Amino acid sequence: MDVSSVLTKENENNNDTNKNFQEMDINTIIESASRVIAPLWPISTFAARNPWMGLEKQSFDEVADWLKDTRDVDIYPSASMIRSAKSKGEIDEAFVKMGLQRWLDTHPFNIPRDVAERFCQAALKLDPLPSSLLSSHKLEKAVEEFSGLNLDSIKNSSIQPMSSFVKKQDGEKLIKILDNHVIKWCKVYLDEFQAGWTMPHREEGFYRAWRRLIQYDPALSKHQRQNLKDWPHEAPLALKEALSLMEIPTSEIQNYLEGHLLSLPGWAGMMLWRSQQTSHEQELLTDYLAVRISLEWALIKPYLPLSNQRTESEVSLTTLLASWIHWGGLTIEDWLQMSATEQHEYLSFAYSFDEMLRRKIWLEAWEQTHTDQLSQKLIFKQRETKRNHSTLAQLAFCIDVRSEPFRRQLEKEGPFETIGIAGFFGLPIATSELGSKHSHASLPIILNPQHKIKEYADEEELDKYQQRKQAVNSLSNTFKTMKQNVLASLLLPELSGPWLSLQMVARSFVPRKANRFIRNLRESWIRKPNTKLSLDHEDNTEENLPVGFTEEEKLSYAHQALKLMGLTEKKFAPLVVICGHSSQSINNPYASSLECGACGGAAGGFNARALANLCNLPEVRRGLSAKGIEIPDDTIFVAAEHKTTIDELHWIYVPTLSEAAQEAFDCIEAIMPTVSRNANAERLAQLPGFQSKLKNPNAEAQRFADDWSEIRPEWGLARNAAFIIGQRELTQDCDLEGRAFLHNYDWKQDESGDLLENIIAGPGTVSQWINLQYYASTVAPHYYGSGNKATQTVTAGLGVMQGNASDLLTGLPWQSVMQSDSEAYHSPLRLLIVIQAPSEYVERLLNNDSVFREKVENGWVRLSSIDPEGHWKNW
Amino acid sequence: MLDSLSLSSSLTLFFIMLIASGLSGLLFLHPRVPLSFVRIHIGIVSLPPLVALFALINASVNGNVGPWYVDSLAWLMVFFVLAIGLIIQRFSVRYLMGDRSYRKYFMLFTFTTGVASITWLSGDIRLMVISWGATLIGLTFLIRLNRGWKVADEAAKVSARLFTLSWFSLLIAMIWLFVVTGQWQLSLALTNEHLAQLGQWERTGINLLIVLAVIIPAAQWPFHRWLIESVVAPTPVSAIMHAGLVNAGGIMLTRLSPLFNGDIASIVLLILASISILIGSGISLVQVDYKRQLVGSTIGQMGFMLVQCALGAYIAAIIHLVLHGLFKATLFLLAGSAVRRYEVSSRINERSAYLWVLAGRTLALLVGVAFWLTAPGDGYQLISALILGWSLSVSWTQLVAFGQGRIGRIAGLIFLGGSAIIYFIIHNLFYEWLHTTVFQGVQPPMFVVIIVVGLLLIGSTIGSWASRNRSSVSYSVLYLWLIRLGEAKTKSIESHPNYLKQLFLSQGGNK
Repeated sequence: MDVSSVLTKENENNNDTNKNFQEMDINTIIESASRVIAPLWPISTFAARNPWMGLEKQSFDEVADWLKDTRDVDIYPSASMIRSAKSKGEIDEAFVKMGLQRWLDTHPFNIPRDVAERFCQAALKLDPLPSSLLSSHKLEKAVEEFSGLNLDSIKNSSIQPMSSFVKKQDGEKLIKILDNHVIKWCKVYLDEFQAGWTMPHREEGFYRAWRRLIQYDPALSKHQRQNLKDWPHEAPLALKEALSLMEIPTSEIQNYLEGHLLSLPGWAGMMLWRSQQTSHEQELLTDYLAVRISLEWALIKPYLPLSNQRTESEVSLTTLLASWIHWGGLTIEDWLQMSATEQHEYLSFAYSFDEMLRRKIWLEAWEQTHTDQLSQKLIFKQRETKRNHSTLAQLAFCIDVRSEPFRRQLEKEGPFETIGIAGFFGLPIATSELGSKHSHASLPIILNPQHKIKEYADEEELDKYQQRKQAVNSLSNTFKTMKQNVLASLLLPELSGPWLSLQMVARSFVPRKANRFIRNLRESWIRKPNTKLSLDHEDNTEENLPVGFTEEEKLSYAHQALKLMGLTEKKFAPLVVICGHSSQSINNPYASSLECGACGGAAGGFNARALANLCNLPEVRRGLSAKGIEIPDDTIFVAAEHKTTIDELHWIYVPTLSEAAQEAFDCIEAIMPTVSRNANAERLAQLPGFQSKLKNPNAEAQRFADDWSEIRPEWGLARNAAFIIGQRELTQDCDLEGRAFLHNYDWKQDESGDLLENIIAGPGTVSQWINLQYYASTVAPHYYGSGNKATQTVTAGLGVMQGNASDLLTGLPWQSVMQSDSEAYHSPLRLLIVIQAPSEYVERLLNNDSVFREKVENGWVRLSSIDPEGHWKNW
Repeated sequence: MLDSLSLSSSLTLFFIMLIASGLSGLLFLHPRVPLSFVRIHIGIVSLPPLVALFALINASVNGNVGPWYVDSLAWLMVFFVLAIGLIIQRFSVRYLMGDRSYRKYFMLFTFTTGVASITWLSGDIRLMVISWGATLIGLTFLIRLNRGWKVADEAAKVSARLFTLSWFSLLIAMIWLFVVTGQWQLSLALTNEHLAQLGQWERTGINLLIVLAVIIPAAQWPFHRWLIESVVAPTPVSAIMHAGLVNAGGIMLTRLSPLFNGDIASIVLLILASISILIGSGISLVQVDYKRQLVGSTIGQMGFMLVQCALGAYIAAIIHLVLHGLFKATLFLLAGSAVRRYEVSSRINERSAYLWVLAGRTLALLVGVAFWLTAPGDGYQLISALILGWSLSVSWTQLVAFGQGRIGRIAGLIFLGGSAIIYFIIHNLFYEWLHTTVFQGVQPPMFVVIIVVGLLLIGSTIGSWASRNRSSVSYSVLYLWLIRLGEAKTKSIESHPNYLKQLFLSQGGNK
């Protein structure tokens, strides 16, 4: 089914009243067309991004078919990936058989069931048809004699940019040339910091700057430049002009624009993101399409009018018949004896049981196997692990899958209780580090910050600190200025060469020591003063966000966080540790993809510190006690950061501790080396390396973090597959292999179901996006991933391109999902959300939250629940 | 006798090590050898540069040993090329982990740097030409190692075509030289009495061929395309290309310096190289891709190196090419760090710093003039003084005048002073090593120097003019031309790396 045509029709209906092309609002069309791309943010805040976020109204399978048709992008796992998963025991073939039966039961066909079944089972082996058969003469003849198949029903058509049908004399498709032009214009326009000379007129906006420059562009022929010389001054007009000159029918405009947006979804996505950031660039996506389609017109003009504008992927009857012969055990003689209707039935059956469908059945079996294995683990583990001694400390970690192994090791070493909660701890804040004018929205990308929290220090100390910092920055500024000066740049290698070579040699042969030395040198020079956070509300009209919290807000955020952690009904331990997490790697453009996704792609320490601070405030504690939550006086909240690359806990906020808290603190300190060693040993075994047994896992983990040549500093969230919302008791002592997001939830405390709704809407979406980003980068690495790290170049400081130039790449690099060029690491499975609650809760959730219901129904996430009796239910 | 014995023994030791590393590279190709062997391989590969370093420090004599010619320049170059190769191989151990061609990369790195080092040790012209050819072949193979990727293949083709042209022109020049002088030993062919046999036109012809041979690997305009297109190569390959191979021209000209002196070929070289400086700097100014900026900068820097050669400042050229190689290798290997993290560069106090800026300019002028007066008759000295003064002025402005508060200024001053001291120490060290072995070029005519100075100043002026007249038409035209010069052609660009689909996903897939 052609998904986009459905939408176009809707659109037509909307525009029934004014069918006049001139009056039609091009901006509305562009807005609906933009559903096919997703905004792309700069790589420095690489928070997970679901490439199909605008398409969740359609089912996963529809989108898969549509992508296959329009872009030839396949989003089911490939046959080889499936085969290797099967050999690793990740797919139970019984589920494949069940999937097949289900499909046969629900799809009508008029051939004997046993014949159909035999055919399908053989086809599901996913072996290719032998080429000797496909080219056999006999087969071709048999096909030729058959002409009864109604082709209309099984032909696909889609709208492609016109330039994709035209080839230049040298065989180059015009769309390739068009893409090059567009890439060039986008990157020079979007750059703000890399180039010494910026694009002229860029302050006037993308389209206008382009219009002014295009008449001088030596990359176009004189004739083409001439054509664009008197082009309209405004983007919407230009777009309309180009579309009408190319005679795109009104009804197909949206479709046509979608085709163009999907040609370079990364650059288009970046334009979309930018258009949402500031008011003066609001029309950026219109500008982008105007530039792109105007250029297309200029390139294509000599070839107009075009005769063939549609790709019609003819279904090869030969292949269909060959598949019957190869898999269905049919002979040509059998075939020739069939009636025309029978032949038709056979062929359309083979057509509908196509290659995509086969892999879809495999994917679902893979997912069911995973569900099955997980449910076994959770339901049948022994439950008698009651600890006798009282809890020394409670540690709250981010839901991130990397927390799970660390929490497990931590719990093993002592009477500690660990808790899972989204790493922004429910604080909708933008953070601003000491002395920095920039603020970072430290919360899931889907939410907007409500408050700004600044780090501040003593005035005088801050001033000195700024000077020291500026001295360091001025070194890199000087380097840049000299590089951009014709004469000075000639001396620069001789001046900086000796220093850089020293660095190069040290980093090559003693990576750990070298990096530690450089870091220590920097830190001891900068000497960051002790800081506080601006938690109190400030009246400040200059900022667009209110700084700090009012008294009520303090109380309500603290209360909300404690509720989410399930601490309101428990006894507080003397020490409560709020742990954000951060990663540590160098020379890694994807460093932020390893940071906290719930904090907008940055380290989560700031939020942890803010929450711990809030919970220690006497006024907050008084307010909580009025709500019936008693926090004992000797309970202290502290903040720490879980360093995921080296599995260590770094303290970032430790106030004066009570005696009991101090005891707990010392105990954590004492066991931490063991915890780190065990967690690292478990994690490093998964990373490609040379030794199977490590003598000193901590040192090796540190090397991964400090080595500038390390291509996989850690696995990040690869292999994530499940999001478990429930009590820790459910998952405790289970080895979940670092594949599960864990969020604490106690349905008994959530009569209204609000808590569950919040968890699904916030952390649930974050983990779904992370999951789909990994999924997409694995199944379509060229289109949704960002390719090989070794051949990337950072462009405009915003993102990466492959090779000489390419689309602005959007997903995770090849190395982040692949063990090696021939072995996948990530298993592309759609996220399984497991809710521990009675079925009524889940039903209520689905009824109230239509967005979530849509996701489940359309196959963007999977949903299961465990009720209080321990029964597993797949929704 | 004793000297030559130690000479030949260090050569022998060196070759044993070189052969060992070659064998280790070949051994690693075998799929039965475990991947962890790569660490042993790195150990073996580190031996030849160590021997070369040892020989460089102890080198006291020059001379021919069989087909080899050994002097401190030769050892310096050998050490340099092999050390870069070692560092890049060490980098690739982790960086290329999991690559399909993992083993081949190490073999090719070892091979390419190995034959390059042989080139610089060759005393025999035939050996030199052949091993240089092998180096170019190795490099081409490195570019096209990722065969499934169309664009890499395309870039390799462009490079191979230009390399062939370059190599044949070197070959013809060298055969011509042999025909006239009857000598295959380079040092003998370049003695005064042999050179005297060369007629004026023969000399010019050979020199022009040599110019063609050296400007192609140095990616000089109008032969810069290969370097522009080969941005597709993996980072370590780019690093070795920009650090170890583009600068071959400088070494070759230094070796051939007695032949290559102040005739029309030098002028041609001077003009092409000066244009390349401007174009290269221009490309790195307008481009926004990190690697492409580096390409632009390499073109410019190599232009400068060739200008130094054309002006007879061979030692300066060698210093430049070595330091530039290390500089560029580091910058390439740091390509992952080019993502902008939000650092605010405040320039609030520009106005109040005006006096400081003025002081810096005066100081720079004084230093420049003083430096020039140390050898006023020397043509290159003038250019050197100009660049030195200019750089001082620029870096003073940034480090000291714009420094924030007292801490900033003091730190800036200390850093400026430190860099200057290191700079002079390094330069002295190189002069010490090289002054006996490198032929001191004949002084070029003064008007040539003036032209170069003029071109550089014009380039500089255009730069500062352009930053003030961004809305003018001529700036737009210049800007777009520079963009165009730095962009790869359509064939070497693919909007999505489609080969990844084939790499793993379709193995035995059912299509």
